[in-house]
Amino acid sequence: MELATGVVPAKPDLGRMRRDRTGRVREAMREQGLDAVVLLGNTNVVYATGAIWPLSDASRTNFEQPVAVVLADDELPHLFSPNRADARMQADLPDDHVHGPAHLDFDEGVETFLPQLYDLVGEGAAVAIDEWSHPLRRANVFIGPKGAPIDAGHIISKAKLIKTPDELACMREGLRITEEGIRDVQARLAPGVKQTELTATFLRTIFDAGADVNILDPIWQVMPNSIAEGPWTTTGDLALPLLSTERELVEGDVLWVDLGISYEGVHSDFGRTWIVGREPNDVQRDQFDRWRSILEATLAVTRAGAKNSDLTTAATAANGGSKPWLPHFYLGHGLGIDSAEMPFVGSDIGEQFDASYVLEAGMVLVLEPVIWDDGQCGYRSEEVVLITEGGWEPLTDYPYDPF
Amino acid sequence: MGADVTITDVIPDNAELRAARRENVLEAMEAAGVDILIAGREPNARYVAGVPRLWINGSRPFGPGCLIERAAGSIHLVSTWDEGVPDDIPHENLHGITFNRANTLAWLTGVEGAATAKTVATDGLMPSTLSLIRQAFPSAEVVDGEQLMARVRRIKMPQEIRAIRTSVRIAEHSLAAAEAAFGAGMTGRRLTAAFMEAMADAGVTTPTTQDVAWITSRDRHWAQAARDTPIAVGDLVAFDAGLMADGYVGELGRTLAVGGLPPSARKLRQQWDELWDRLMEACRPGAAATALLDAYDASGVAPPPVPVARGLGLGNDLPFVTGALRRTAAAQQLEAGMVIALTAYVWEEGLGGLYGQEPVVITADGAELLSTNPLRKA
Repeated sequence: MELATGVVPAKPDLGRMRRDRTGRVREAMREQGLDAVVLLGNTNVVYATGAIWPLSDASRTNFEQPVAVVLADDELPHLFSPNRADARMQADLPDDHVHGPAHLDFDEGVETFLPQLYDLVGEGAAVAIDEWSHPLRRANVFIGPKGAPIDAGHIISKAKLIKTPDELACMREGLRITEEGIRDVQARLAPGVKQTELTATFLRTIFDAGADVNILDPIWQVMPNSIAEGPWTTTGDLALPLLSTERELVEGDVLWVDLGISYEGVHSDFGRTWIVGREPNDVQRDQFDRWRSILEATLAVTRAGAKNSDLTTAATAANGGSKPWLPHFYLGHGLGIDSAEMPFVGSDIGEQFDASYVLEAGMVLVLEPVIWDDGQCGYRSEEVVLITEGGWEPLTDYPYDPF
Repeated sequence: MGADVTITDVIPDNAELRAARRENVLEAMEAAGVDILIAGREPNARYVAGVPRLWINGSRPFGPGCLIERAAGSIHLVSTWDEGVPDDIPHENLHGITFNRANTLAWLTGVEGAATAKTVATDGLMPSTLSLIRQAFPSAEVVDGEQLMARVRRIKMPQEIRAIRTSVRIAEHSLAAAEAAFGAGMTGRRLTAAFMEAMADAGVTTPTTQDVAWITSRDRHWAQAARDTPIAVGDLVAFDAGLMADGYVGELGRTLAVGGLPPSARKLRQQWDELWDRLMEACRPGAAATALLDAYDASGVAPPPVPVARGLGLGNDLPFVTGALRRTAAAQQLEAGMVIALTAYVWEEGLGGLYGQEPVVITADGAELLSTNPLRKA
């Protein structure tokens, strides 16, 4: 496959990326008549400000989260953060746009933040917020006509759907870093190796290669032969993803791999099926071939203007009439500042949604069909593609070895 | 190395610990008149349910991930499978991952007592949360569940302190690997890589910070060089080591310089020592948490914008003591059984910063360091 070249610059221009993103947020704000948006969600703050910090784990994220404020009449975003500044951020945002922390999970934090906000926008301004907190609710601010704040999450969802050229360059670099890690892991894959040791190798390489952060505890799931041999599920189908442990791999284990990193705030995603210490047998090769034909059938209808349901219909037809994906997930999902974001294709949002959702050029889709032959295990991989006017372009060419 | 045994299965938290934590939650719900508590934040959900779930870096928007109902003491959990789920959460109380609000509403509505619940607490809010809760629990008032949970979790039981000790031990082990790789020409990013590899090889794959080493700035109080800047002689390089084993956080911080601290940093080191002694002095049960900020004032040191003390536990733990929230600090008391990451940071223009952090447990008559190799030797 040819890698996407047309619209993706060889190297990201981070200043331009930040300007393009803030611009997209402000455009969405204008359409809704908003004077300001206040953003708490980590990745939303990254999107609006370009600030990169080692996104903290859930254990400290609420008490110490950075907050962004984007104004309708200012090209530059404001950042309220306890994090250390580095040279890049200082170069992009002037000092009067970088403030001390806003602790919106504490009443006192809200009290000290509000005057600063009103200095920027005035008290009667139309303000939307992506996440709320009990202290903000107690302060009785930003309340819209429905008795709750106007949701700024929609603003970011809309802005982030279409990737800017520099975001695509970052994504490609993130995928490259991820795959460098994966190459080292595959070289180590052998009977007797522990799942957590694969993680050790992966983490070592991605940081050495330039990752900002690892975004999820990598999955190296040993698949059962049949659903009944796995854990009970609410769907009666397969459990995925299950957590990695110090379990030692044994020859013949079929691993379903799923992981991702962040590079400059843009996420990567990677999924493959591997076999420990053996070449695939005929059944496994057949499963891979069927997986690939489903992927090809899906990609054949993937283009700007296609509906989600065109993709789910093509995938289902190529699978002989049954859905080739897990019922608690989807056939495909978007990728960008979050590892799974809109558009969700084939999710439990429902068929009506899929029939009305139209793909656009500049969206990124991760397709992850699943082949399962109960009693004989199955195959799952992920393919990351950029939607274009005429169709799609791959964002990575990592091989499907050992298949 | 991590736990005392090698963990090869995903298992729920220990039954005794789960029971004790639940009892604490139910007691607090009773006292506050809360019928149903909804936890979206992982630390709270872990405390209530005792189920390890997939670690993801960064914040998550609030959504009902776990629910506890007071009358029957029953727990509901968003999980598509039962791996890692204890027997006391039956299959019918497990609810699969969903992207559809109607499905979330359906399971909430099906919770015992949903129709009559008078008070529902949530540990977070989204702009859409109130309308969801009001649909599911039509008679209920929505109250702050984060305050309730933070209060419940602030005092650690002996088993929790043991878990934090284990995490600290693994953090120290992993930090040693990063320190061994330290030297001129290395970068913060590559030292982070060394830490992460050692941590995962020790069986733990969940860091709490992913910026393990950073060159402190010589011209700004709280800033750092870019992560790929090669470390040079004279740089003061801070290490921030944190991870979670079995859900509990262990953290510590150190500062190194190639070839040891330069003579020019002797005064800074002395200032750090004095600050540290004052901070430890302030760690007494019954003291207001502002005593820690006062220790900075008394030393003539400006605190960093990050907390000078944060609770260690499952996450988002009290006390939370930071210069920006002085009144909040005044309202918190240090109590026996609290575990904190205590931070001393001093900085001098032209030189850089000295950063040190130790995990400390408040005891009946003072404080005890949980690290085995503290920065400031007694």
